[in-house]
Amino acid sequence: MTQLETTTPTNAQTETLSSGQILANKRQERLHRVEPRGGREFTALERAEMFVDAGSFVEISPMRRPKGEDPRRTGCGVIVGWGMVDGSPVVVASHDASIASGAIGAVFAENVMRGQRLAIDRGYPIVYINDSGGARIHDGIDALHGCGGIFALNIEASHKVPQISLILGPCAGAAAYSPALTDWTIMVKGQGQMFLTGPEIVKAATGEDAHPDDIGGSRLHTKESGVAHLEVDTETAAFDAARLLLSFVPSSVDDAQRVAEPASPSPVAEYALSRVVPATSSAVFDMNAVLAGILDDSPILELMPTHGTSTLTQLARIDGRAVGIVASQPQARGGILDSKTSVKAARFVEFCGRFGLPILTFVDVPGFLPGTVEEKRGVITHGAKLLRAYVEAKSPKLTVVVRKAYGGAYIAMGAKSLGADFTWAWAGSEIAVMGPGGAVSLLHRRALKEAADPVALRAELAADYRENVARPYLAAEAGIIDDVIEAEETRGRLSDALRLLAGRG
Amino acid sequence: MFEVRAEMVANVWKHVVHAGDEIVAGDVVAMLESMKMEIPVYAEVGGVVTRMVAVEGTVVQEGDVVALIESALNAS
Repeated sequence: MTQLETTTPTNAQTETLSSGQILANKRQERLHRVEPRGGREFTALERAEMFVDAGSFVEISPMRRPKGEDPRRTGCGVIVGWGMVDGSPVVVASHDASIASGAIGAVFAENVMRGQRLAIDRGYPIVYINDSGGARIHDGIDALHGCGGIFALNIEASHKVPQISLILGPCAGAAAYSPALTDWTIMVKGQGQMFLTGPEIVKAATGEDAHPDDIGGSRLHTKESGVAHLEVDTETAAFDAARLLLSFVPSSVDDAQRVAEPASPSPVAEYALSRVVPATSSAVFDMNAVLAGILDDSPILELMPTHGTSTLTQLARIDGRAVGIVASQPQARGGILDSKTSVKAARFVEFCGRFGLPILTFVDVPGFLPGTVEEKRGVITHGAKLLRAYVEAKSPKLTVVVRKAYGGAYIAMGAKSLGADFTWAWAGSEIAVMGPGGAVSLLHRRALKEAADPVALRAELAADYRENVARPYLAAEAGIIDDVIEAEETRGRLSDALRLLAGRG
Repeated sequence: MFEVRAEMVANVWKHVVHAGDEIVAGDVVAMLESMKMEIPVYAEVGGVVTRMVAVEGTVVQEGDVVALIESALNAS
């Protein structure tokens, strides 16, 4: 795209121009900015057009601009409109970094809120394409008032429609807070940043020298802080990810669930399913291999793939029905639950519950990670968030114990007591109040102390505990597990239950 | 020099590679034991193992250095 000179008509010209010519000039102004767009490949309008189905983008109030604005500046700093995504309408707000770095002024905020209100009232998802330095200082307190207004509607919208934030440039202050109030945030690597304030203000405030990527880069936020949920390489990949995400979620809480063409699991994965779990209970395996043998062989979307890796959260399909997957990942840190994974899973479960997506939980959890580090992080509070999320989620909840489920972590991974509609355990699995090692120490303290060979006795007692206490049959007899099943039966059980429960929640 | 760190509190069960070994990204450098699970520690980069820092039989905390690697990326 070339930057054309703007043709701002003077008063003298307007007297002689026809109304059609004036309109043509105004539109010309709108499309060809005088300000540079930095290193950005696409303009705000191009981004909005690229995100939706080709040719479907319609801008709302394209002439909106602040009063008394520098005549060389056109627009209010944000393109707001709607377009179709796979045939369903979606509202889009795309920050225009070419206008005062996309700063959020009073009129900018009003324009965003206009789009948010439309989406909330009519039930359409909202996608925010963020590239903004935050509140516009020149607008003073009016800018802050506008930012607060956007936040309030973010929160109102969260009860009604899905919201996705794409971070395509440096986003500070309000431009970082609004995404935190939306459902999912996708960052473009090396291009998108999120921070309370940029490096210059950090330096002035606290003296700390920080590179933008160190205080708000995509790696920091997708791996460590958990502020963002997906890191992609390009803007196009961000649009594709957002579109894929929307393909799993109804347009609003009032709409029916998404159902695609059913697909069988990958035949290779299905064939291997019964042999994925190793015979040694301490050996690790990739839970994705289990999921691949059960779920439809169709695109999945893993959210937060590099944060809290011992628990997986994925959007997938079974019999074409969109479902949310929460799964222990023994390959990463043994599949433990801790502060990070609890918050990650709780957020995902809450999201699924809000939009009626069935929650399928696959359990192989050795427990909550104990110790000083986790207690300092407040693991009790964070773990409780996961319990609350499961109980409050009203969508269908189905849980499969794949290998082991111990203690509080057994409860937290979608147990029957938290409202699971159906729970199953694989025949070789273990369900108990704690692992054999710990249980034997507590139950047989005296015998172990007095034993001639405590190591041998411990091993014997642990084996006995594993076979006679931890096997899932006791849980099934108690009604805590609905049935004990073979791995190959899992898909059938899940899909039957989903058919039964469809439309509930 | 690249530091391979422990992702969680655990016992250092055994070293899988040793100083001087050449490894590629994704190789397991050590096995930890925690929560009755075998926890592999993966190298994020390839290169030559300079030193196995974590001693077998001791406890590492989350973030402790397990191994040092002279990265092939840095060397080139």
